[in-house]
Amino acid sequence: MNIELKDIHFSYGPVKALDGVDLSIGEGACGLLGPNGAGKSTLLRILLGFLRPGRGEGRILGRDILHDQFAIRRLVGYMPEDDCLIPGLDAVTFTAYFGELSGMPRQEAMKRAHDVLFYVGLGEARYRLIETYSAGMKQRIKLAQALVHDPKLLFLDEPTSNLDPQGRREVLELIKDISSKKDIQVLISSHILSDIEFTCSNVVILNKGRVAAQGEIQALKQVDYSLYEMKIKGETETFIRSLRQGGCRVEETEEGLLKVYMPPGLQRDGLFRIAARENIQIRHFVRSQTSLEDLFAKTVGVD
Amino acid sequence: MTARIRAEKLSKWYGNVLGLSDVTLDIEPGITGLLGPNGAGKSTFLKLLIGQLRPSIGVVLIDGRPVWNNTALFRRFGFCPEQDAFYEDMTGWDFLYRLLRLYGGTREEAATRAERALEFVELTNDQNRLVRGYSRGMRQRLKFAQAIAHDPEIIVLDEPLNGLDPLSKRKTIKLIKDFKAQGKTVIVSSHVLPEIEALTRSIILIHQGKILAQGDIHYIRDLIDGHPHVIAVKCDRPRDLAARLVAEDSVADIRFGQDGSVVFETRNRDRLYGLLPRLAAGDRLDIEEITSPDDNLQAVFDYLIGK
Amino acid sequence: MPISEQGYRHWPGTLVERRRPWAPITRLGVKLAFKRKYFKFVLGLSLLPALIFSVGVYISEKIEDFKFMIRGRSQFLTVDPAYFKAYFTSDFLLFMMVMIMVLAGAGLIADDLKHNSLQLYFARPLRKRDYLLGKMGVLSFFLLLQTLLPGLLFFLLKLIFSGSLKFFAQYPGIPLAVVVDSLVLTVFFGLYTLFISSLGRNRRFVSIMLFLVYIFSDIFFGVFFGIFRRPVFCLLSIKANLQQVGSALFGVSGPYDVPWIYSALILAALAGAAAFVLLRKIRGVEVIR
Repeated sequence: MNIELKDIHFSYGPVKALDGVDLSIGEGACGLLGPNGAGKSTLLRILLGFLRPGRGEGRILGRDILHDQFAIRRLVGYMPEDDCLIPGLDAVTFTAYFGELSGMPRQEAMKRAHDVLFYVGLGEARYRLIETYSAGMKQRIKLAQALVHDPKLLFLDEPTSNLDPQGRREVLELIKDISSKKDIQVLISSHILSDIEFTCSNVVILNKGRVAAQGEIQALKQVDYSLYEMKIKGETETFIRSLRQGGCRVEETEEGLLKVYMPPGLQRDGLFRIAARENIQIRHFVRSQTSLEDLFAKTVGVD
Repeated sequence: MTARIRAEKLSKWYGNVLGLSDVTLDIEPGITGLLGPNGAGKSTFLKLLIGQLRPSIGVVLIDGRPVWNNTALFRRFGFCPEQDAFYEDMTGWDFLYRLLRLYGGTREEAATRAERALEFVELTNDQNRLVRGYSRGMRQRLKFAQAIAHDPEIIVLDEPLNGLDPLSKRKTIKLIKDFKAQGKTVIVSSHVLPEIEALTRSIILIHQGKILAQGDIHYIRDLIDGHPHVIAVKCDRPRDLAARLVAEDSVADIRFGQDGSVVFETRNRDRLYGLLPRLAAGDRLDIEEITSPDDNLQAVFDYLIGK
Repeated sequence: MPISEQGYRHWPGTLVERRRPWAPITRLGVKLAFKRKYFKFVLGLSLLPALIFSVGVYISEKIEDFKFMIRGRSQFLTVDPAYFKAYFTSDFLLFMMVMIMVLAGAGLIADDLKHNSLQLYFARPLRKRDYLLGKMGVLSFFLLLQTLLPGLLFFLLKLIFSGSLKFFAQYPGIPLAVVVDSLVLTVFFGLYTLFISSLGRNRRFVSIMLFLVYIFSDIFFGVFFGIFRRPVFCLLSIKANLQQVGSALFGVSGPYDVPWIYSALILAALAGAAAFVLLRKIRGVEVIR
């Protein structure tokens, strides 16, 4: 396990931000979700080796969070949500500078800065001043400075904010590529659930200072093995009737989606036989799962 | 309650920088999504629609009346801009109340509307704090509140879900859909394509100052000839399925996905979708899943604008 | 391997614990200072007194040789503690130091606050004090260039041109006074600049404040002195305080009839307050939102 936290508490004066957090994060990219004010930024500060918890213990990449905070910060790369730059610098100098501050020797930092800038897609623009960069480019340079020192834990805070659809896709692909390496633990905090679903295999949902849910997304989504969603083209009414005669429960939503609950006796192929017989086209057919959004809503317990 | 927006030969330049070029279209009541790369002209278009910018050429008509500088019409608009523009030294309630007073009407009306809007965006507990102390999410909700508080018929929202947590997003999406049910005209601009898809199927795609496409997402997808439709099928014997599909003339390309699925391309979806149940029944294939991975807005965007 | 790994590559090196973690910050600050418009010109101008005084040392030696031939003694251009004091307390030099601070230092912390880069710094294994030391280093570099370097240079030149160590024997306290006064000026101006830089997010605002506070402190002195005619009001003026302390260090009486220890205490108090506020302001914790 790359990150293990046991019973973490933290208060800012009288305000309790974390109220007993137990976390276990291992391989694969992990999404960090939670309503605003749930304690995500506090948790982030503890994970970055920035704060000492009031109570509790834990290890991040094998380092003790109470005593080895500096060592943790050496291993962590942080991509902040806000824009941040140093005016008057070009991309290479900027990236190499922060590599140096992380403890890389000067020449190594420079060499690595070039590599990383190419990787994030800023190769051609790397000698230009950062102030002249577009929003998408600024996002990438934040990623570059987080990667320059080859961190073992990468924390991305809203990595796709301010990006247009093309930029979003490219950054998400980059994140997916980085996550595929076995020795980087990637942690992504985002409110855009489709981004989390695309890049992460695991998720942690925080609420009111506690972990409300954690685990593999697929496992949490609770696949219902006998409920299917389908879209068809053809004689809908007759098809639905035939399905019902076969023992299925069928619901039709307003968007034309059919929700079919199959009784234990019936197999999938029975459904397809009925469709073949009645000349029905099946244009969409999936097992029903709770969406990540529903999971979030259920876990956070509102509405 | 229905208002139709029409743009005729609309163009806008800033000096010699192109904003928008020769746009002619109608926007019907309901929800219309507006998307495009950065710098394509979306903000220019939105500001022209609500009369905040003067067209260089052409005109924007609301129910037949030109909108530029027509302050009588402004009452009917609600605009939620992307940037923050607040009076930081006011409280949330103050800010909303005073804006509402600008629309005329009595003090009581303005107060009630302010209360209602703040309640909806869940800022009631913070309404007496200064805007300066608001977090990003709170500012976004206040912006949204000021766009809708005076019950406008035409609502223009630029990245309205930015910075909101998933539950607030869901709530806002529901409200926008309510607007549609009430017959209002809503235009939503966003870079997060799945969020547009959650709201509407009707979109306008802008690129380099011109309208690249307008209409129903799936209809537009159908018209993109250059890219045959992609269908992915998960079953227990993918090779056997592939063998049967290879024989089909209308299958343009076949490959195998990483999860063992068969992914193929076709221009004749009707035929293939009709074929699959017959194959399942006839060849006793256990089909687990049928999906169309590129029948969505991201695909439309990629294919039309591309790299 | 015939084809090297594409995509993201790991870095095979190891991260080191630096002996001087603040060094990259200082290096960058100095580099950026030189990039600013007019900086090289102002720096040159600020070193003009150093040049003039160095030539003065040379002339004083040669003139002395000359004068020895002419009968009578002349006090013309003697190099003694008063000479050093004249350099270290010159209005022009102090003003140029403020100018250099404005160009090199106004944005040191203000820019980081404005552009949110503090969170990038502190996500590294960097202590608050390393950050501040690094920034101080930038200012110290230029300030010492204007104080310590010329001071030691005059001393060395005097020894070289007079050809003997007589001067050192005569005034053994001068090198120490040079070092101490340089430190006083450097530390004070450094903290002064960093403190004001941490107050604003706008570099222009900070630049103006750096000037105004310095100039107005002197103007207040002038105003109160004009009204009350008591020299004690020199304690209001930053410039006057620095001149008092500088003079005292070289064993020469200061320009104002006020015990120099008061000036020293005031400067120390101001510096201490600035340091205290700085440490509170750069609260790393709040930096990551």
